[in-house]
Amino acid sequence: MLTVGGVISFRGLFNWLNPYVYVPTMLVAPIFQILLFVYIGRSAGVGTDAFYLVGNAVQYASIPCLFAMANTIAGERWTQTLGIVLSTPANRVALFVGRSLPVIANGWFVAMFSLFVGGWVLGVDLPVSAWPGIALTIAIASASCTGLGLLQAALALRVRSTAVLSNIVFGVLLVFTGTNVALDSLPEWMATAGRLMPLTHAIEACREVVAGASLSAVAPLLLREGLIGAVFAVLGLAALRWVEAESRRHATLELQ
Amino acid sequence: MSILEAHDLRRTFTTTTGVLRRNRKQVEAVRGVSFAIEPGELFGLLGPNGAGKTTTIKMLITLLLPTAGSANILGLDVVRDAREVRRHIGYVFGGDRGLYERLSAQDNLRYFAELYAVPARDQRARIGELLELVGLTGREKERVEGFSRGMRQRLHIARGLLHDPALLFLDEPSIGIDPVGARELRATIAGLRSAGKTILLTTHYMFEADELCDRIAVLSQGELVAEGTPAQLKARVTAGSVVEVETFSGVGPADVRGKVDAVGALPGVRSVVVDDRPDGETVVVQVEPGVDVTAAVLGTLSGIRVGRVVTREPTLEDAYVQLVSS
Repeated sequence: MLTVGGVISFRGLFNWLNPYVYVPTMLVAPIFQILLFVYIGRSAGVGTDAFYLVGNAVQYASIPCLFAMANTIAGERWTQTLGIVLSTPANRVALFVGRSLPVIANGWFVAMFSLFVGGWVLGVDLPVSAWPGIALTIAIASASCTGLGLLQAALALRVRSTAVLSNIVFGVLLVFTGTNVALDSLPEWMATAGRLMPLTHAIEACREVVAGASLSAVAPLLLREGLIGAVFAVLGLAALRWVEAESRRHATLELQ
Repeated sequence: MSILEAHDLRRTFTTTTGVLRRNRKQVEAVRGVSFAIEPGELFGLLGPNGAGKTTTIKMLITLLLPTAGSANILGLDVVRDAREVRRHIGYVFGGDRGLYERLSAQDNLRYFAELYAVPARDQRARIGELLELVGLTGREKERVEGFSRGMRQRLHIARGLLHDPALLFLDEPSIGIDPVGARELRATIAGLRSAGKTILLTTHYMFEADELCDRIAVLSQGELVAEGTPAQLKARVTAGSVVEVETFSGVGPADVRGKVDAVGALPGVRSVVVDDRPDGETVVVQVEPGVDVTAAVLGTLSGIRVGRVVTREPTLEDAYVQLVSS
């Protein structure tokens, strides 16, 4: 269920994501986002290219992670398999954690690709020795963001328009996580909120790794990122369980 | 022991309208339904749209909690023991969807085998057996999006049987399938019955229910209005006859529907129903035994162009129409 089931369901629900859709939305769009903010930074004379490159590349992992997790429910509704899936005895934790694994892998790939190609286009020096640390940091960032996506999946059991919410959350993460404006420069309440969100600590850790810091030096940041992701994942799984139970009680489960 | 027992099942929905002034309205979708299904039985649940069939099934397959009453499957309560109940039931509904279109038939079955915790070592053999059972051997590698509706429906049935459930729910499985596909599907269902599988079937097609079901329950407006074998239900109206009158009210000056009450009031008439045809209507009149109302019906329909007039024996469909319209 965790591995085979997760991969088959990902293929079943995201088979429409052919190269004509995947390449522009997952691989080209983040490069434009990176270029936009790098050039804004250059023209304003604030921040380095690496600051914007790392921030936007890691933050773009939220697109596959948020949208895909919400779509694990919305997609079932589209194929009208939601009722069938929910009438099976499948363990819900294994079911949804299994579905999140390919999503995490995809988020990781998108962010890594964005960082690599963005760095190459902009001529930002990303030392070879930093890549293992970058890969680990981005994996934790993707997992953490997928935890938030699980919470959205729970909401998708009650509402149909999950893409609207995913867009809003993407915007919130763009502003609050220090992607383009350092937390120190944000109003205090925004910085505090940002520190409780996925990606914030991973972006900071990734910037330090790119600047030459060792993994052990950024371990506290990665632990905090992982902890926040775990909290969101637990909240998401609990919400999924609660919403499913309430839906049986109040007949609010939108099956089709 | 019965495979399924439902006792006084009820389900009320609360609907709200308005934004500022919220008006709440209670709708009783199922109003005290009780029935039992014995092992190996093919039990039909019939009723018009909105009669409460789907709501009843949703409660039995654990997707909806009853407002009152109870139901158990193999002695397991559908509310308290929901997860355990799910291990013993299969659920198949009709229509185009309900499968992962861009996966192959085999991958669809493989995924649901995972959900039903079919051991990995048994999956391949089980899927092969079921594909053969539903006549899809050789097509298992093809994507479902290329399947006809009949093939999809047979694949649905294979999916519902993956974990060898004690009770299979078939919710209008033949809806929208062409005659050949529907015949193949009925053969598959009949094969399951012969193999001893216990099935709850809902359908709008009376000949299908007549051909397949051991017993039938008829739901109307949330209540169970009749239960028995197809022969017993037909016997309710066999002591009598049916007069069918083809009309073309679009051609004449009067509307046939305006005459229904008058026909229904004729001595010896039990019930009247008007069925639409592409070129007109058919007035179906159920008549008491020993009474000939043909002349009186034609007299009441004066002013409407009339075609063929037939007097025949009642069918299960007549019994059904009388039950749900009375």
